[in-house]
Amino acid sequence: MFLTLRLLSNRHPSFIARTVFVKNNNVDDACRLVNRILGKEGILEQYRLTRYYEKPYQTRRRVNHERCKAIYNEDMERKIQFVLRKNRHEPFPGCS
Amino acid sequence: MLSTVRNTLRVPVAGVLRLFQTSALQASEKFDHKRIPQEDEGVQGEKVVDLDSVLKIKQNLFPTLDSDNQIFDGILYKQLPICNIRVSHNNTIFTMTDASGTVKIIRSCGMEGFKNTKKGTNIAAQTTAIAIATKAIDRGFKTIRVRVQGLGPGRLAAVKGLQMGGLNIVSITDNTHVSWNPPRPRKARRL
Repeated sequence: MFLTLRLLSNRHPSFIARTVFVKNNNVDDACRLVNRILGKEGILEQYRLTRYYEKPYQTRRRVNHERCKAIYNEDMERKIQFVLRKNRHEPFPGCS
Repeated sequence: MLSTVRNTLRVPVAGVLRLFQTSALQASEKFDHKRIPQEDEGVQGEKVVDLDSVLKIKQNLFPTLDSDNQIFDGILYKQLPICNIRVSHNNTIFTMTDASGTVKIIRSCGMEGFKNTKKGTNIAAQTTAIAIATKAIDRGFKTIRVRVQGLGPGRLAAVKGLQMGGLNIVSITDNTHVSWNPPRPRKARRL
């Protein structure tokens, strides 16, 4: 209840959002955890993209490039999984 | 990984050019800059994937409803002094404030004697952090919470330096201003 109120009164409440406690004086790990979460949520990406104006043609190119990369990565992942798989039903596929 | 991709791209281009003996090498350099995204700027651990394993092992990593009233070193969490760190590409600025936000100490890499490009290095950030930490201990701050803002080479080094200076860091907060519908930013740099 109080947390909701606090969130409503302030969209980015300090020391509630994006905060990690340091455990066992391990600052490095805490820092990395923060960075990892920010990276995963796409916050750092958005920050970098909005430093400079991106012209529409650049946006189009970037989005297309990301699409291509995603397709390539997905196929490559499948390929690698296929090569690495064990217990084949057919020991020599395609050679019957 | 990016550099390897760049090299593989560059080699065939150079080979083709050498056949014709043209002087269009500069054009290919420009092309490379535009196509290949810039390298990472000192945000360690951003690309690591296995988040869940860390979260499973450790408990009480994140603040909850009653973390404000938790006691650290005899002080309530919400009354701990704050160290704000403003990290940018060209400088790192530290401000020590009390819980209400009144500035007590301010130091920057430029004030520490680093000039020009040297201000924006991780070494500068670390030295400045150690300097401000010793000052803070003199003023009686011992246990602090850290609030980091911005990306830059000094991001990790700054927090590390505060700890090396003898301060006890309770929590790390990121306060980078990010907007999903910002006003139009300045025009892109021409490389």
